[in-house]
Amino acid sequence: MKLAYFPGCKIDFYLKDYDTSFKSLMEKLEVDLVQLPFNCCGYPARSTSFEVSVFSSIRNFALARKYNLDIITPCKCCFGQLKYASYQWRENKGLKQKMDCLLADENLFWDGKTKVKHLLSFLYNDIGVLEIKKKINHKLPEKKIVTQYGCHALRPFTITGFDNPHAPRIFEELINITGFKTVEWSKSTECCGNPIYETNKNLSLKILDSKLKAALESGADHICTACTHCQIQYNDLSFQKQCRKYNITPVLFTHILDAALGESRKNNQAKKGCRNLI
Amino acid sequence: MPKLKLSLNLKPALFNTIFQSKLFCASKTRWVIHFLVFAGFTFLVFFHALDELTSFNLFQYYQPTLDPFQFLRNLAGFLVLTGCIGFLFRRLFKTRINRENKTKYKEIFSIILILLVIISGFMLETVKIISEPAFLEMVEDYSDLDEDTDLNALMTYWEKNYHVVFKEMLIITEDTLEKGRLLNDAYCLDCHSKIKSAFVSKTFAMHLGEIANSLNHYRADNWLYPIHYLLSFLMLICLPFSRFFHILMIPFASATHKMTSRHFQKETVSVHPATFAACTNCGICSEVCSVYPNFLITKNKQILPHSKIESAGKMIFSGHLNPEALNQLQLGNDECTMCNNCTDICPSGIDLQGLWKTLPQTLQKMGYPDNYTFVKDKALQERGKKQAGRTYELTRNLAGRVYSFENCVQCTICTNVCPVVAYAGNDNDMTPQQIMNLLRLGEKQMAAETRMVWNCLTCYLCQEHCPSEIKVADIILELRNISNQTAGRLKIMTATNKANKL
Repeated sequence: MKLAYFPGCKIDFYLKDYDTSFKSLMEKLEVDLVQLPFNCCGYPARSTSFEVSVFSSIRNFALARKYNLDIITPCKCCFGQLKYASYQWRENKGLKQKMDCLLADENLFWDGKTKVKHLLSFLYNDIGVLEIKKKINHKLPEKKIVTQYGCHALRPFTITGFDNPHAPRIFEELINITGFKTVEWSKSTECCGNPIYETNKNLSLKILDSKLKAALESGADHICTACTHCQIQYNDLSFQKQCRKYNITPVLFTHILDAALGESRKNNQAKKGCRNLI
Repeated sequence: MPKLKLSLNLKPALFNTIFQSKLFCASKTRWVIHFLVFAGFTFLVFFHALDELTSFNLFQYYQPTLDPFQFLRNLAGFLVLTGCIGFLFRRLFKTRINRENKTKYKEIFSIILILLVIISGFMLETVKIISEPAFLEMVEDYSDLDEDTDLNALMTYWEKNYHVVFKEMLIITEDTLEKGRLLNDAYCLDCHSKIKSAFVSKTFAMHLGEIANSLNHYRADNWLYPIHYLLSFLMLICLPFSRFFHILMIPFASATHKMTSRHFQKETVSVHPATFAACTNCGICSEVCSVYPNFLITKNKQILPHSKIESAGKMIFSGHLNPEALNQLQLGNDECTMCNNCTDICPSGIDLQGLWKTLPQTLQKMGYPDNYTFVKDKALQERGKKQAGRTYELTRNLAGRVYSFENCVQCTICTNVCPVVAYAGNDNDMTPQQIMNLLRLGEKQMAAETRMVWNCLTCYLCQEHCPSEIKVADIILELRNISNQTAGRLKIMTATNKANKL
């Protein structure tokens, strides 16, 4: 299977771990990733201009369409924005016309056929839980895990179609097959606070704090994320004094599944990430 | 500017300076052209211009007219010439993203200066080859020829083999040539290699034809010397004021440590402002910029890194920026997603992303804070009323259409699920449901300027839970767009008022 890999802006600089473990995971699942010269998904521009944000996404779609590939992304904000933009492009005729003109200026076009997949939805829908379960050769210890779903993939449901927005279960199912045990908690579908980190840091950390408190109450050892922005926000724990008191570490879903699928020989960095877990 | 800390990293600096490794990664064609000029010119500077210091000391028998030096000098000049022609060709016939003509002319000036230095050098060598007076002076200085027949023999030999042009016709016979060869071996060969190794100047000399005699008559070899020297010194003088400055700054910029994500998270980013000067405005960064599509729509040049660094440099060093330009710079910098593509590719090795991270602080000092701080610090609501009534052209216009919010029954579900309302406390003013109410009252501008609009996490919980299916989060985002525009306008207004008062 061949897919266009959409890493998102932040991953390369802030979270190289996610990038390497994602690639090693895809290699084990025999998925070919193609790197295209994608630009920003448009999510950060949403607060300044609706048009800009939609056009950024559509340009990425057009680029993937040129090579006849579907897009896979490990970031939930990118996933949400790409879905959102393609929805708006379909619904709004005036907008579509303008986008088409702008694309034509760059010798691109888009017919709406490119699909976008998030890492989790791809594993769940395209590969299948049973298929992955067969490949698992390393049972992980029974640690307690809480999941962080990520807002932009879940909502608005009519646009993203990711999972049930009120009681999602994809993430739990995917983790449970590795041996880790997921625990119910109240704030699984709530925001991590990252979107306003740059502007209102105080509030952003307050929200993070409330989430950690809830996670601690549920008795979890780790918070599992599958989104670049959420992971960056939780990684920030180690730098913020007020959050250090919680003994909960954030882990990337790719590290967990990568460890369960057996150590990779080629990729040293991914291997290190796996070992930390076991 | 944040506190300056200098720690240098020498290995990449050397690598990038000598081999231009980053340019090689960025673009192979540009590297080939650039390296031709760089390699040729470096050789000429060290082994030709500074030969008193280098070549004479390094090589015992060094003479500029001996091989391999004569050949290498011609080769180096030839390389620079081809490279410069490549430079010129690209500047004249290739369009790059959003380049101003001013920078283009500045570059063409520098290229032409290099070309003039090289061409004057070649011309000097050419007229020295053909010069009869120079030949006679050399004969007087370095030989003890007494008889006219001997001199005649040497002249014939030199006319045939070294392309010297003599006024009077010489009769060439086998005998005189043979005699000339013997005399040449005795007196000249120690310092003069065969002329064919000076392949560029020789070709020029062979094609001079009639002009050669008049050039000899006016002693062109004497007055071309000062011209070649003057041009070279002009180049040296221009070094700090023109595009040539990058020669000095790139090693420095490449040597400074790049900021990592750790620096970003700890908020200890510091970039030395001198690295600005290393920018050659090549525009490679803008080709890979993640937010390039934003530029296509907003047409704000300050989104593109290569324009941004130019304005930032102007702002910090001379402060010659008008309020409009400063506002554009602030808006452009706001769009940056910190993807590190520009730092990764920058052939000059500038830590561009570190610069973008520190830029807001400088802008804040000049009265251009980011829009969030601006809204928070000043009661926008007060000023906003004066501005109300302006129309905004948006593609969707949810906030302006009654059907998008008229169904609100004020059930407060959105407020109850909102994490901002739950945790912000005094930091927040309105709740989502109150914003819907403001819209129903027709107070769109007031709604746009509430703190809630800026604090919104865009988590879409409100929209997902709304029983009336109102697009609460979408409306709030749209209000934020409006608020952004208002804040920009107000900033320009304040700055202009301040300037007028002064």
